[in-house]
Amino acid sequence: MVNPLFALLIAAAVTVLGFYVFSPERGLFWKWQHTRELSERVLREDALKHIYHAKNASVESLAGALSISTNQVADVIEGLQSLELLEIEVSNFKLTSDGRDYALRIIRAHRLYERYLAEETGYDEVNWHEKAHQLEHELSSEDVEALAQKLGNPTHDPHGDPIPTADGKMVYSEKRTRLANLELDERARIIHLEDEPEAVYAQLVAEGLHIGQEIRLLEATPQRIRFETGAGEHLLAPILAANISVIPFAEEPEKELEVGLPLSDLEIGEEREVLSLSPRIRGAERRRLMDLGILPGTMIEAEMESAGGDPVAYRVRGAVIALRKDQAAMISVSAEA
Amino acid sequence: MTTENTQSLENILSTAQTLRWEVGIDFHEKVTESIYTDAARIADRATTRPEEKPRFDFDRKLDQILTSRVWGFPLMLALLMIVFWLTISGANVPSSMLATLLLDTIHPLLKGFAATIGMPWWLDGFLFDGVYMATAWVISVMLPPMAIFFPLFTLLEDFGYLPRVAFNLDNMFRKSGAHGKQALSMTMGFGCNAAGVVATRIIDSPRERLIAIITNNFALCNGRWPTQILIASLFIGALVPVQLAGLVSSMAVVGIALLGIFLTFASSKFLSKTWLKGEVSTFSLELPPYRPPRIWQTIYTSLIDRTFIILWRAIIFAIPAGAVLWLSANITIAGTSLAGYLINFLNPFGLLLGLNGVILVAFIVAIPANEIVVPTIMMLTVLVTGANGGEGAGVMFELESGMETMALFEAGGWTLLTAVNLMLFSLIHNPCSTTIYTIYKETGSKKWTWVAALAPVLMGFAVTFVVAQVWRLVEMIL
Repeated sequence: MVNPLFALLIAAAVTVLGFYVFSPERGLFWKWQHTRELSERVLREDALKHIYHAKNASVESLAGALSISTNQVADVIEGLQSLELLEIEVSNFKLTSDGRDYALRIIRAHRLYERYLAEETGYDEVNWHEKAHQLEHELSSEDVEALAQKLGNPTHDPHGDPIPTADGKMVYSEKRTRLANLELDERARIIHLEDEPEAVYAQLVAEGLHIGQEIRLLEATPQRIRFETGAGEHLLAPILAANISVIPFAEEPEKELEVGLPLSDLEIGEEREVLSLSPRIRGAERRRLMDLGILPGTMIEAEMESAGGDPVAYRVRGAVIALRKDQAAMISVSAEA
Repeated sequence: MTTENTQSLENILSTAQTLRWEVGIDFHEKVTESIYTDAARIADRATTRPEEKPRFDFDRKLDQILTSRVWGFPLMLALLMIVFWLTISGANVPSSMLATLLLDTIHPLLKGFAATIGMPWWLDGFLFDGVYMATAWVISVMLPPMAIFFPLFTLLEDFGYLPRVAFNLDNMFRKSGAHGKQALSMTMGFGCNAAGVVATRIIDSPRERLIAIITNNFALCNGRWPTQILIASLFIGALVPVQLAGLVSSMAVVGIALLGIFLTFASSKFLSKTWLKGEVSTFSLELPPYRPPRIWQTIYTSLIDRTFIILWRAIIFAIPAGAVLWLSANITIAGTSLAGYLINFLNPFGLLLGLNGVILVAFIVAIPANEIVVPTIMMLTVLVTGANGGEGAGVMFELESGMETMALFEAGGWTLLTAVNLMLFSLIHNPCSTTIYTIYKETGSKKWTWVAALAPVLMGFAVTFVVAQVWRLVEMIL
């Protein structure tokens, strides 16, 4: 018979080793796979993207963005030049038209794939960027077109950025502007929320802001930006508000901006009218709620709470439907009965 | 087409593209939403409801009690206890009647018939001791509890109570990334895992449904209850004075079932955070109005749809199991049967897990049906130890008295550790082949079928291994 202490120690060692090697993301195995994936092509493509986006890309900024050494950057630049994708004009990097096309193809793949993750999978928002970043290098152009078709040729990624067309065109709307540039009392629609840096984005999400939301500027000073949305009044530091892009309404809409209340705030027995479903309810879940008849204009009544406290059952169109608190929080209802 | 025309066409297209960008990201959503809204408005205008009174006061009253914080959980537990009690106590009589008929009456008749027409011993043994015996065993253990449990369950479902159970328990399941309706498929799993896997169809969210399918195995099914009860009463009940034996051994069995529920939650959480992270997840739960159950229709459909389909699948799988078992015990090479070789080969590994080679081989042979684990263990123990008793090589049996059974197990070298680990391994091992096949049918995916089949068995190895080594370590120190 094996000595039990010995057996346990060996098993523990194997487990720790296995965890060290295979634990998701931090494990040695994944790291090894990651470095193997950082082939020359991938580095070149990432460099093209960086140069396309950045106003004045430098060797240092490239090294930072790609997390490689400046020596390696030099190799990548040389490679891009020999492929005639990049020119250097007075120490400035400039993409050739082939280089621009190439960069746009990668951006198209990235944004389409993010859209796919948002609509058709259950991945959390925080996972989208990284997953798309990996896949953008692996999808062939046929894959990308098939994906675009499947998604119904979407125009924007889930963060509100335009997706380049298959023939390499991408336009940011001319009317797009920063929130702080609006006139006082002017109404607009949120078109983009910058998802980097993550901490800032998380704060915007926590404020209940989302793309497509109507917004009205109340006050803009160097100290603070005060504005109103369907979720109530918000107060942000200008540096945070700078991450919100809007498009002003061409003409003043007829309907007043109605400040609603999350459905999850209803007391049992209260009845309200549904105002909107947050865009954060997406894909299958959104379709499901609409199938159940939870639509703008529908009357909804909180009927009863479960023995566990969550979910709460609501009466909609004669049926009783239970929704979880986090779902109900994303449905906006009228503040007054 | 002239160049000018092409030019203007291109202009139009690019304007269209720019406009598409400008209407914003939620344009499609807005269109869909307004189509839905219009449809709802048209429907509302076209339908008239006589004196809108949507819910009966009776329903509301009943819901207030059944989902209240004070009464919701106690009532639910009481109702489930009644269902289980009816199933277990109600199945005893028909089970033993079926066993008497199929095993003690028809089997000797078949043997006698074979002797009169002079059937060669191997054909007789293969057909009647192997194939017939395994099938008859599965039917007599499996059929009565299923025929009671499923109709009772379906009646509760028909009445409208089960959605309320899901509603009440959803909070617990939500915390482990699962759907409240998993409470129902899990409860169904206590009757039969294959039926539990089919029952996950009520979960409409893909991720939560896969979780419910993969973890259903941790609901102790009715093929495993008898094993737990037998081993607990022989080994664990024997640790305490006679008057407490019944109580302690049933507490041990309930403890195993609770451990199963705990593992369901733990592995649900693990799955939703790792492998199933990318599957689509939605939640909605409709609470239909209560209605009087249609008793006869319910009994009929639950017998046909659930009981007989599952039983038939089990029989299909039991036939080869009986054949394999009989052949492996009767084909000998150099004086040792095939089963004997396999047992010797697996014995060191079995001992490392606090089990033994016989038990591991029995679990392999019994992949088609957990019902035959104990009779197979007994037959194989006789085969390798040469102990008295039994019906001959390859013939499953069970002994009438606990004393004799205990004596046989002791001859096989069993200790309290063997018994505890057998109970644990019976809970935490691969689902039976009927369930595995059902998982494949329901998920349509080889990958998830493999995960559902292999993950529990690896967990079972890990758990029994650690228990065995710690046990021995403590024994050494004391």
